Amino acid sequence: MASIRISSLTKTFRNTRRALDDVSLEFASGEMVALIGASGSGKSTLLRHISGLLVADGASEDCCIEVDGRPIQRGGRLVRDVRRLRASIGFVFQQFNLVGRLSVITNVLVGAAHRMPLWRTLLCRFTAEEKKLALDALTRVGIGEIAWQRASTLSGGQQQRAAIARALVQRARLILADEPIASLDPESSRRVMNTLAEINRRDGTTVIVSLHQVEIALVYCPRVIALKDGRVMYDGPAATLSSERLREIYGSDLDTMLAPENITTASPPAVPVLAPINLNAGVFAGNSA
Amino acid sequence: MAAHSAAATAVSALAPPRSWRWFAGWGLACALLAWSWQGADIRPLDLFRESGNMAEFSRDFFPPNFRDWRLYAEEMVITIHIAVWGTVLAIICAIPFGLLSAENIAPWWIHQPVRRLMDASRAINEMVFAMLFVVAVGLGPFAGVLALWVHTTGVLAKLFAEAVEAIDPQPVEGIRATGANVLEEICFGVIPQVMPLWISYALYRFESNVRSATVVGMVGAGGIGVVLWDVIRSFQYAETCAIMIMVIITVSVLDLASARIRKTCI
Repeated sequence: MASIRISSLTKTFRNTRRALDDVSLEFASGEMVALIGASGSGKSTLLRHISGLLVADGASEDCCIEVDGRPIQRGGRLVRDVRRLRASIGFVFQQFNLVGRLSVITNVLVGAAHRMPLWRTLLCRFTAEEKKLALDALTRVGIGEIAWQRASTLSGGQQQRAAIARALVQRARLILADEPIASLDPESSRRVMNTLAEINRRDGTTVIVSLHQVEIALVYCPRVIALKDGRVMYDGPAATLSSERLREIYGSDLDTMLAPENITTASPPAVPVLAPINLNAGVFAGNSA
Repeated sequence: MAAHSAAATAVSALAPPRSWRWFAGWGLACALLAWSWQGADIRPLDLFRESGNMAEFSRDFFPPNFRDWRLYAEEMVITIHIAVWGTVLAIICAIPFGLLSAENIAPWWIHQPVRRLMDASRAINEMVFAMLFVVAVGLGPFAGVLALWVHTTGVLAKLFAEAVEAIDPQPVEGIRATGANVLEEICFGVIPQVMPLWISYALYRFESNVRSATVVGMVGAGGIGVVLWDVIRSFQYAETCAIMIMVIITVSVLDLASARIRKTCI
């Protein structure tokens, strides 16, 4: 439900390496898009700019990032009400970025903080409705039963689903997921990707997910954007992104972007979205009820 | 054997030769010790020469005289009260000052001045503050509380800030990404991470404040120190010994208790 427009975004880190080089992209609302590329290709940097966690180089005045028609940064400066815009953007990190010593539900309730008066947030006075919302979100991602545990006691996959629940409680209309499965085992990876796909399909939430592994991108995302050295090398349907084209873009780097079990088959399956979800049909059992 | 020593020679030949810095460093350290020996007027022989006097002096301490133990106990309790309030007020002030003097929270033009202010309040010993506050608010425990408060704020703010600087920035970024403001970032991202360390530092300072509270009394700032100073000045060493025993017991019991609490908090 949120559209994004990025125009001529350039980012240089410490005047040495160009992390993003004149990137212009548009995303329609309700899309599920994969950003692929080797490490250091600028995927994370791009996502962090969209939520205003990084600012672009100041030199280019026409550089602008808009979410739903409202600019979040322009000409290397964040807009004044960046916090209100961030509240509508859920961000899922590779390292989950939960507060380990807080309970899972408190971590998730932080997503509601932007709708609460400040004194109530600072005293942790969450209302029953807010707690219900958080519990529902946790149940939806399949970890409702561990809501009162400390976040640090959870497995990686559970922590990542808690982070997604936080974005749900935020009522985010756009979810940016930065390598959400890079630190997870294959089974947890599938669950997390299924959760993101389900949110995209059911709520119409725009999801942009950066991925290291090409096959997963091709399976879950109808549109794929390939980055290399901070430039967009491919932007189009997953179906037309052949292994030859990938080999052309990434050369020998491609080997590091293929999961080990698929290296033997050489060509990744260019199946359109959501084919393998039955691998894990139990995950969403809570939703139909 | 010969082969072994040959190998040892070969290894020592590989190691880089000692530079002049090594010799200069040790020379400097020795010179400092010799200079301080003079300045501190160290006379180890006196310990042997005067050993008879000292034995006689220490005989005066025994047996300890607990005749006035009710008074000592009352004053000991007041000493603990001084330590409690001195520490609590210091914790309350050290939280904002500690956050403001952390590099990763406040910009340099805030954290540098706040740090200097904390340095100043830490540099002056509690006894000196106690003497000043006795003049300002009169003799009694309140002067002791104020003295402990100021000094401990300086110490705790530094310790709290160091804990804040060592946090993992990722959870804080996670909070920021939800649209939270700076206070919410601190409340949900920073405080939960530093809480165990903060509790441990605060308890440690409470222990050491109980010890300090026993001496601030000597300049008139209330508590057991006042009584202690009186009996020392009037050469009542048996009473002095009784008070010292009570101080040792109280401090040990509180140390044990706070160690127990610390363990449950972490």
